[in-house]
Amino acid sequence: MVAGKHRTLLTRKLLRELWHHRAQMVAVGAVVACGIAVFVSMSSVRYSLEATRAEYYSRYRFADVFMQLKRAPEYYRKTVARIPGVASVSTRIVADVTLDVPGLEEPATGRLISLPDYGNAPILNDLYIKSGRSLQPGSDNEVIASQPFLEANGLRPGDRLRAVINGHMKELRIVGMGLSPEYVYEVQPGAFFPDNKHFGVFWMGRRSLESALDMSGAFNDLSLTLSHNGHEDDVVSELDRLFKRYGSLGAYGRSDQLSNRFLSDEIKQVGIQISFLPSIFLAVGIFLINIVLARIVAVQRPEIAVLKAMGFSNRTIALHYLFFALTPAILGSIVGSVLGAWLGKGLMGIYGDFYNFAHPLYYFRFQEVVIAVVLSVSSAMLGAFGAVRRVVQLPPAEAMRSEAPKLYRPGIFDRAEIQKHVPVSVRIIIRNLERRPWKAALSVMMIASAVAILIAGRYTYDAVERMTEVEFTEKHREDLTLLFNDSMPVSVASTVGSYKGVLEHEYYRDEPVTLHSRHRSRRQTVRGLASGGGLQRLIDSNGRRHALPPEGLLMTTELARILSVVPGDTVEVEFLLGSQHRRSVAVAGTLDEILGLSAYMDIKSLHRLAGDGGAVNGAFLRIDTSRARALYSEFKAMPGVGGIMMLKALKKSFDDLIAESMLTSTLILTIFACVLAFAVIYNGARISLSERARELSSLRVLGLTKKEISVILLGEQAVLTLFAIPPGFLAGIGLSVLLALSLSSELYRLPLVFNSYNFLFSFIVVVSVSVVSGFAIRRRLIRLDLIEVLKTRE
Amino acid sequence: MHENQQSPLFRLSGVSKSYTMGEVVVDALKGVTLDIFSGELAVMLGASGSGKSTLLNIIGGLDVASRGEIFFHGKELTASTELELTSYRRHAVGFVFQFYNLIASLTALENVQLVTEIADDPMLPEEALGLVGLENRMNHFPSQLSGGEQQRVAIARAVAKRPEILLCDEPTGALDFQTGKLVLEVLEKVNRELQTTVILITHNAAIAGMADRVIRMRSGEVYEDHRNAQRRPPSELEW
Ligand SMILES: Nc1ncnc2c1ncn2[C@@H]1O[C@H](COP(=O)(O)OP(=O)(O)OP(=O)(O)O)[C@@H](O)[C@H]1O
Ligand SMILES: [Mg+2]
Repeated sequence: MVAGKHRTLLTRKLLRELWHHRAQMVAVGAVVACGIAVFVSMSSVRYSLEATRAEYYSRYRFADVFMQLKRAPEYYRKTVARIPGVASVSTRIVADVTLDVPGLEEPATGRLISLPDYGNAPILNDLYIKSGRSLQPGSDNEVIASQPFLEANGLRPGDRLRAVINGHMKELRIVGMGLSPEYVYEVQPGAFFPDNKHFGVFWMGRRSLESALDMSGAFNDLSLTLSHNGHEDDVVSELDRLFKRYGSLGAYGRSDQLSNRFLSDEIKQVGIQISFLPSIFLAVGIFLINIVLARIVAVQRPEIAVLKAMGFSNRTIALHYLFFALTPAILGSIVGSVLGAWLGKGLMGIYGDFYNFAHPLYYFRFQEVVIAVVLSVSSAMLGAFGAVRRVVQLPPAEAMRSEAPKLYRPGIFDRAEIQKHVPVSVRIIIRNLERRPWKAALSVMMIASAVAILIAGRYTYDAVERMTEVEFTEKHREDLTLLFNDSMPVSVASTVGSYKGVLEHEYYRDEPVTLHSRHRSRRQTVRGLASGGGLQRLIDSNGRRHALPPEGLLMTTELARILSVVPGDTVEVEFLLGSQHRRSVAVAGTLDEILGLSAYMDIKSLHRLAGDGGAVNGAFLRIDTSRARALYSEFKAMPGVGGIMMLKALKKSFDDLIAESMLTSTLILTIFACVLAFAVIYNGARISLSERARELSSLRVLGLTKKEISVILLGEQAVLTLFAIPPGFLAGIGLSVLLALSLSSELYRLPLVFNSYNFLFSFIVVVSVSVVSGFAIRRRLIRLDLIEVLKTRE
Repeated sequence: MHENQQSPLFRLSGVSKSYTMGEVVVDALKGVTLDIFSGELAVMLGASGSGKSTLLNIIGGLDVASRGEIFFHGKELTASTELELTSYRRHAVGFVFQFYNLIASLTALENVQLVTEIADDPMLPEEALGLVGLENRMNHFPSQLSGGEQQRVAIARAVAKRPEILLCDEPTGALDFQTGKLVLEVLEKVNRELQTTVILITHNAAIAGMADRVIRMRSGEVYEDHRNAQRRPPSELEW
């Protein structure tokens, strides 16, 4: 009975004191909540993306292995089906064509994909028809168009558009709006970012596509699924062997399928963020709990002694103080989970806009909350450990004496001559910092981590901005790129320059090859560029321009790393098309590009190497904008052109899609970093205030004004904050580098850019947060009870 | 010795202080009327809870009266703003408490400098410390000084600004007999040599012997106020 009563009294003590320290508890809880929110949102988004993808892929029978080729007889389908490990096979005809879209001045590019006739669902890579209907068997001009394309162009089933297929203009009737697991990330080949206005996927009856492309009884696209005991590598090499002579560019698995690869990279990046930021927030949370609880225990030494003298067990008392840490941690994790679920839902919505899932679903699992609570509770325990151990070890008699007074001895500062000229209030500040260097260092470290998060949070935004600047502006001077359906001899292609309004043109050659270096090899496109050209430039991630060597290969650093070669080495170039011969070529240099893996050569030496007298795959054009309209309509009808890429449109679409969502996440991170900074600075000041209330009251009694004592207390906090800024900047740079390294993949590498504006911004944010926290503390300073303090012993 | 017809340094009339805590009202002071004259050394006696500290704090501008008026040099303190009270404490009042309340991070000298830096016409800090006999311990931190020495630093700090009144709330309360006497001697010396008015609260009736005037309080009222015919030096006091 008695024990029960005691327990309720202790609970009452706990509740009152928690209430008394509510501002500090809220600050600690908020830091935990931010960390948990990031954790919960990121891990639930990762799970949701994975689950949505898995569900989408299996429900719509996404293939395991893919291959594009020039043309192969249809009966090979049966041959492939007999390869051991293959479950089901699907052959298709796929072609890229130029489109004339109503309401769109510029030409667009369409990817036409054949669907089985007679209304059967495709065996693999099925469609989700979101609205409208599927194709009528035997219809000649019906198509199903991809949702992003239709939405970007404001089209609906029932609308019509025109395509130039094999040199003939054909009118297509849109009957349905669809989505496919193959195009979750719907991007034009050669572009890295989606431009849904100018690129779309269309599904069309096989028979009509066959006749339009003269592909009866043949296919140029193959996909298959593996049986349970099938091995991707074995099947891929068997396919490569079988189809080499049919102009195959090589089979590949899901991991190299463009859309899936972007999606996988994205999921991986989300995964990195699960641990990255939360660990910083929780670490700061641990330190905060540590200092807050240490102070509470120091103040309550006599009370602890009394409780022990009264016969409370160590366990009861330890638990009592542990609750000071557990309360904000548990509340923080609950608030963080709710916030995280909300953020996660929003984030999944953004991903749902960016990636085209049939049924994007946000899954919030209870498991996440459990992990969140476990994480924050263990952080709290870790933070509370030192203080609680002191509670337990305190002998009852010892505790009655107040903690041993801090011994002040002359420090470095006292030996310095200048100290004589410094006002006493400044001496108090300096001495306090000097005498407790560890405490000061801890505060500096925590404030610095807030500065670092501010900088790193904005870094990704800047890096992506820099990436677009290089990729859309510096690297390219052309207005548009014409992509040819097939490689053309230079003589045929040279008509491009004769169009009126074309100011400059420059051909390029994209040659699919396999690069071999000792036991390593890699399928790769070698791009041949005009040496003296300059419509497409070679710019590295630092913005430096590289010259194209007259002979030999210039490759991206990442590709050189994969092949394990350095400039001066030789690689074997195996041509996949045409004569399929192998040649040795020197690696002339490397450059660190932002996007993708590339290899470049002077176009003339590439022609020589190919030994085919020269062929080109496309052209960069700079055009007279006043003639653009006329040029566009000429290009729309131009035979042999399979696609047109518009740089400005790509940039705009990128800005709309990515920049906006990045702005949101940067904003959220900035807010979280502010919370962190506030919690650290405010708690530091609160603890100082508690430690020095007596001293400050004495000063007030001596006749110092409120302003003067504020200067002493807040001055100390200001010094700590200012000291935290340089290491914060350094840590921010370090964190950004870490972020750049971990977020980079083969698809892109984040350039290291450090915008001085961000440093200024972080500085201003941290200073403002200090000022706000200073005002909050000042309110307490003003209410300091002078008499109360003087009545008691130190 | 001062004459009563001289205009008083402080004039208190009907000073009351009540604390309201929920539904309970505690009357700490119930209409205290008192004149304090320049240069006198007054000892204030009374049972615990009789209102001594409350009265001293109100005189010193640390606290404000609920009712009544206090005039200092004819100016009404009770009508002063917070900032005026601060300035009053800064220039006119010196405090000495039972607990010394020195700034732990400052040396003895610096604790005194704290005051001399902001006062209008202060002594040299060294001079103030000399007055309390600590000229040799100036560069020691409080933790390196004994209780009595710390209290003497506190007195030096209080007198260094040349205050008009020195308010001491049980300055010997935490000290032993010998050390207590030493502190009292310092206070007596300050009163004698600098003509600083001193009010000294104590529980020790024997100390009343060193005073010009003895004020006794009981439950918030002054019930006895008499003058000693003769002051006895602290060294002769016994308890
Ligand atoms: N902040 C306060 N709130 C409520 N009551 C108070 C407060 N301060 C003092 N009192 C009450 O006012 C009365 C006078 O207190 P005061 O401190 O002046 O007594 P004192 O004569 O100095 O006693 P002691 O000799 O014990 O120091 C007491 O009854 C006390 O309980
Ligand atoms: Mg008292």
